[in-house]
Amino acid sequence: MKIEENILNDVSSIKLEGRFDANTSDAVEKFIREKIEKGCSQFVLNMENVSFISSAGLRVVIIIARELRNEHQGDLHIAVLQPSVKRVFEISGLNNILKIFDDEQTATEAFSK
Amino acid sequence: MQQSYDFPADTAVLEKIGKLAIDAGSNAGFNDIEIGDIQLAIDEVCTNTIIHGLKNDQNRTFQMVIQWNPGEIEIQIHESGEFFDPLDLDDPNLENIMEENSAGGLGLYFLRELMDEADFRIGRDGVKTWRIVKRKV
Repeated sequence: MKIEENILNDVSSIKLEGRFDANTSDAVEKFIREKIEKGCSQFVLNMENVSFISSAGLRVVIIIARELRNEHQGDLHIAVLQPSVKRVFEISGLNNILKIFDDEQTATEAFSK
Repeated sequence: MQQSYDFPADTAVLEKIGKLAIDAGSNAGFNDIEIGDIQLAIDEVCTNTIIHGLKNDQNRTFQMVIQWNPGEIEIQIHESGEFFDPLDLDDPNLENIMEENSAGGLGLYFLRELMDEADFRIGRDGVKTWRIVKRKV
């Protein structure tokens, strides 16, 4: 799993590449937690290049979004889902709970509205 | 057609297992959405086996058997690790998942939602077996 970060207007955009599964989810969680500890509370998770997500990946998305909303007045926005990954969000119902956007720019700008 | 594989209890094998699932699903004639469902179901069972059954001990192994015919695929996962009954897990409370303290149970939920059959048994020899089946509609 490749993880890259770009910060714009206090929003941390994190771009993932590869599989988001039990083998990689800990690394993603650790990466985001380090940013939260440094004071960041607004995140965009760009999943354009995520080819697969399992419940282990969804678990990280859920607990991070929950923590940001409940403890930091922040949020985790999801951007750009491949069809197979989008289907997993839909089956789990997370598409109704999380804010999912078609592109990273819109996901980032949504924090300032 | 049937293929059998032995894997160490290491989550690093999940990527290879995913590719095997895609190949088998494709050979059985499933479409992309169905192949994605099969790949996810196999990943969830193997993850469960590696983490809960075999405690991430890379010196221990599990066996995966994939059988397919046109329009049908059956996967069996066998392991003889710690006692763990995944069916004891509660279903996730999806409506209130952002208010709950945990985010567990989704893997089992996916198995039930995506596969036509998903059952788990423990043999007299202690070997635990997951069996999951998907058929084309």
